Amino acid sequence: MGPGLALEQAPPFSAPLRFFLTAPVFLAAAGLLAAWSTGWSGTPLAPVSLALTHLVTLGFLGMVMLGALMQILPVVAGSPVPAVGPVAAVSHAGLAIGTPLLAWGLASGEAAILNAAGLALGLGLTVFLIPTAISLARARALDSVRAMALSVAALAVTVLLGLSLTAWLAGHWAPADPIDLLGRHALAGLAGWVGVLVVGTAWQVVPMLQLTPAYPPRLTRALLIGFALALPAALLPPAPWQIVGEAGLALGLVVFALATLDLQRRRKRKIGDTTLRFWRLGMICLALAAALSPLPLPEAARMTAGMLFVAGFGVSVVNGMLYKIVPFLAWFHLHAQKGLPAAGRPSMKDYLPESRAQGQFRAYLAALACLLATPFAPALAVPGGLLLAASSAWLGWNLVSAVRLFRAHGGRV
Amino acid sequence: MKQEILVDGRGLEPPEPMEKVLAAVDLLRPGQHIRFLIHREPFPLYGLLENMGYRHRTHMLGDGCFEIRIEPRADGGR
Repeated sequence: MGPGLALEQAPPFSAPLRFFLTAPVFLAAAGLLAAWSTGWSGTPLAPVSLALTHLVTLGFLGMVMLGALMQILPVVAGSPVPAVGPVAAVSHAGLAIGTPLLAWGLASGEAAILNAAGLALGLGLTVFLIPTAISLARARALDSVRAMALSVAALAVTVLLGLSLTAWLAGHWAPADPIDLLGRHALAGLAGWVGVLVVGTAWQVVPMLQLTPAYPPRLTRALLIGFALALPAALLPPAPWQIVGEAGLALGLVVFALATLDLQRRRKRKIGDTTLRFWRLGMICLALAAALSPLPLPEAARMTAGMLFVAGFGVSVVNGMLYKIVPFLAWFHLHAQKGLPAAGRPSMKDYLPESRAQGQFRAYLAALACLLATPFAPALAVPGGLLLAASSAWLGWNLVSAVRLFRAHGGRV
Repeated sequence: MKQEILVDGRGLEPPEPMEKVLAAVDLLRPGQHIRFLIHREPFPLYGLLENMGYRHRTHMLGDGCFEIRIEPRADGGR
């Protein structure tokens, strides 16, 4: 039997679903915090800016990406994550408890809260990283799987540096150059984990879900080799290699974004849907953010470039993917649980009517426009934050509605 | 009665091809089988079919599409 064939290989619906349903709560919390607190838009290093960044990166992006990897590895790589049920439960708990603690600790600077956050996140993410590394080591040798492995290695570096920085803020040690550590932590987390994971996943899901032509194998191979060389160069000293590594990562991400936009333009089916719109928005923001990143920008423009990457690219792509993953899993698990006859069951479109997804996309677009301008016009933080909170609540409700329909037809989570 | 039910899922957005083929499986009469055409190998479908008591045989066509023959298993999957 080939990869991903047996139902027993697929994780139970509850394993990824708990991540997908929790994630919008943290994005909404980030929106409320952005609207409520002032002064975050001036610098990425302000305590509230750090809290906001981690609510979005850990609470939303990390949350969904962990759940999605557990789901996709058996299907794409033919290699399930060992003990996926307990691994999902513990890593989800670690993120769900550790993320708000970290945001609180970063905003307040209280050592006890930072210690608790480090403990919860360290435990939860280690419990995710080890079984996932085992699954990847056994996986099929596809370029997309190798890119996923590279991104998971970058996550391990991000976690290690993040825990070191948390320990520094809690007063346990004093690194020689904490800002240098912070820069590498952010680079590993954003370009390495979020960026390369989306790249590797896109090679599989963009042609499959959006009916585009496949990515040219020469392109995926060149990008994979480029990222595998540039990522360690950007993260390890000495300095001249770091600059080459950072430029290589930025170039690779721009090429990927433009290639994806080109494939989407050439897709067979001309009718677009909300996932496609989120992906296009994400790719435009990625190309801009990556092109801006090597330039010597003033602080405000640097903030906007950071938000282009985290919100414009990361949140958009993840939000778009949730609209494919959750309805598909609801549809799939209902058929798997109930067998035949299949007549009378909801179609995938019933789980997420396009009109609801489209409205949420527009709300998100308005939020993003305000937030990107906030470094230049700080008063926009209030409408931007509130719109982000509203669009996240809308996203959460859309996902919950899909699960309610699944349960109404007798599905068990 | 036709022996072969043709389901053409080529170029349709997922999971429309799977929705169509499961609808056809629902209506399958004894002695009939399904010939399912699809542009990608539908890995998740195989688990569902297995679970529902059907067997499948897949082969790749010259244009990179797949042809899958689906019929009830002799033991009915029980």
